[in-house]
Amino acid sequence: MNINPEFQRQLYLECSQARLIGIPLILGAVFTLSYFADNHRLASASTQAAMTLFLIITLLWGARQTMDSVVEEYRDRTWDTQRLSALSPWQMAWGKWLGSTIMVWYAGLICLLVYLIASDPGQPLFWPCFYATGGALLVQGLSLLLGQISVRQGHTKTGSTLLIVLLGVFIIAPWNRFASFAYFQQTTAVTWYHLRVIQQDFELISLLLALFWCSIGNYRLMSQELGIRTIPWYWLAFAVFLIVYLGGFLPGTSYPFSLMAFMVCISLSYIGVVIERNEAIRIKRLLTYLQQHNWRRSAEELPIWCVSLLLATPFALLLSVSEHPMRNLGSSFHFYPLPVLLLLLRDLALYLFFSYGKNPQRALSLTLLWGVLLYGILPGMFTLAGQNWLAALFFPLWADSAGGALVCALLQTAALSALLFRRWQESV
Amino acid sequence: MIAVDHLIFEYPGLRALDDVSFRIDRGSITALTGPNGAGKTTLLRCMAALDQPVSGAIRIDGIDVLEQPRDCHRIIGYLSDFFGLYQRLTVRQCLHYVARAQGIDEQDCDAAIAGVCKRLHILERLEMRPGELSRGLRQRVAIAQAIIHQPQVVLLDEPASGLDPEARHELAELFLDLQRQGMTLLVSSHILAELEAYCSDMLVLRQGRIVEQVAIKNRNIASTPYKLSLATPIYNLKEILNQLTGISLLKIETDQRVWLTIDGDAMQQHRILKQLLALDLPVCEFALAPGNLQDAYLETIKQQP
Repeated sequence: MNINPEFQRQLYLECSQARLIGIPLILGAVFTLSYFADNHRLASASTQAAMTLFLIITLLWGARQTMDSVVEEYRDRTWDTQRLSALSPWQMAWGKWLGSTIMVWYAGLICLLVYLIASDPGQPLFWPCFYATGGALLVQGLSLLLGQISVRQGHTKTGSTLLIVLLGVFIIAPWNRFASFAYFQQTTAVTWYHLRVIQQDFELISLLLALFWCSIGNYRLMSQELGIRTIPWYWLAFAVFLIVYLGGFLPGTSYPFSLMAFMVCISLSYIGVVIERNEAIRIKRLLTYLQQHNWRRSAEELPIWCVSLLLATPFALLLSVSEHPMRNLGSSFHFYPLPVLLLLLRDLALYLFFSYGKNPQRALSLTLLWGVLLYGILPGMFTLAGQNWLAALFFPLWADSAGGALVCALLQTAALSALLFRRWQESV
Repeated sequence: MIAVDHLIFEYPGLRALDDVSFRIDRGSITALTGPNGAGKTTLLRCMAALDQPVSGAIRIDGIDVLEQPRDCHRIIGYLSDFFGLYQRLTVRQCLHYVARAQGIDEQDCDAAIAGVCKRLHILERLEMRPGELSRGLRQRVAIAQAIIHQPQVVLLDEPASGLDPEARHELAELFLDLQRQGMTLLVSSHILAELEAYCSDMLVLRQGRIVEQVAIKNRNIASTPYKLSLATPIYNLKEILNQLTGISLLKIETDQRVWLTIDGDAMQQHRILKQLLALDLPVCEFALAPGNLQDAYLETIKQQP
């Protein structure tokens, strides 16, 4: 049988006899304890233990496994062997995703089995299991995505990246409620673009959509790693999807929708610049292709953050000409869309400036440090000293007028762009 | 078989490949030589579609490597200088994975593994892990990985580094065997004496530029230099030799050894020898200089600015 070679390789690595025997033994010991705790029967303590163990195993161990499936290749210098194979990006991605977690699912299935046996008859069992499985798959997929991003940025230690995953796991910890049957007996409805949908169904669809986009992300990143040229249409599609999805929860006026779309595009631009492979030479290739009027190649070289930045521009303009319910957010803090867009550009320039330097791995931490200075410490210092115009120079949203904010933001963006341009020239 | 045109590759602040163009014939073994940092590994990685150049084109057997990297991977084998072996898998599992990943059907894998292992004399190591093998054996496993799918082109980056003389000899035999099977090989190495045993062509790369491409096996005998050795140094040797007709001096070492070319055949060589003896020079050797790849390489490098 011709099974996916990457999946098969992961089976070679993961399925040892010791694990196949050891996992049921350890889980058996845990469930024996819960059996005694339930007065010599499998009841609520066993149900709770089974679901909690399932979540811990599939989320924590699973996330580590999928991330290591990529990072270890890079660390052991076998990544090139993989890149030279004739496997498709999708084969490679799902081979790693499901293959590296095969023992995780082996342990998880034992937990689910105990959960099903220990649950009271008549309880809804399918949906909790489905939610928990889907949630675990999503976290593992995101972890694979982070692994690929770590590799392209030259990080071979998974510790710090795993910390981010753990944080994510804690954020989605409310999924623990799937262990509670009461949740599935609720009939709360969600309103989405005037549609009323049962909350559980809506969450289920959202989970499936998140899994879909996670798969697309893994596929596209793997395509790039395997040398396949890609056009960033998926980033555009993802931005549009997020805008449409989140827009369904907003009231029907155009201002909140534009504001949300603008914030989505800004967030995606920040995320895009961090996950992108920022090589000075890439910009040179882009400029070369543009000069040659080679539009397809130009699109392939276009960084994804450019796409979301371009998408943010019409929303910024739209917000600028709209009536501003949020113009004044405090006594001296204002929301000016165009200066915000320019500040985004400044931050992107700052990040790229560090990326083109000698230690591109430190670009993110250095940018965050400068962010704290530019957004917090310097404006705060000048505000406390009563120099509001100086505070506005560093953080233009402190300015009294949109024009003043625009000038301050323009000055900062121009200065950073000039520095970036000089460093780029030195790099190529 | 391989056509590279105007290839440019840049690292931050450094042009690693500068307008590199060359052709390699089908079935040849080409030595890719050059000093450290000349761009040999970068060139091989670009040809294997592992790195993307700024501009230029690479075609291997008609496939545009930059446009269709995955198609290219089916017809090339690449051996990196750090082998890229899975330490946690056995040799059999490593080869099985690569065979399957290169599109060999499951039912044909065992035959492919047996075939390549027999050729590389690693049949009895199949159940061992790469970490348990010597460097030479690990390298053979890596070569087995690179050629298990019978690629038309094999790119090898420093394949002989760290090998003992016997292993190098076996490697040379293997490469000649692959050539006989119709494969085209491009071998990067510093060890020129070892390359000479099997290379038919030489590409010299320096500071990211191809400075020469020569056919080693078909070098013109007429252009091969002669070596003249004297028993004792002669003070004004250069002036004496300049009196002779039909020779061109290439190099004089310590007024005792001379490399020169002659216009003509063995009879001309005989006539010149007679003249040398008539001049009462203490000749103890006058014969074709045993030219080698190293000489050719040094000659090429010397001629370049």
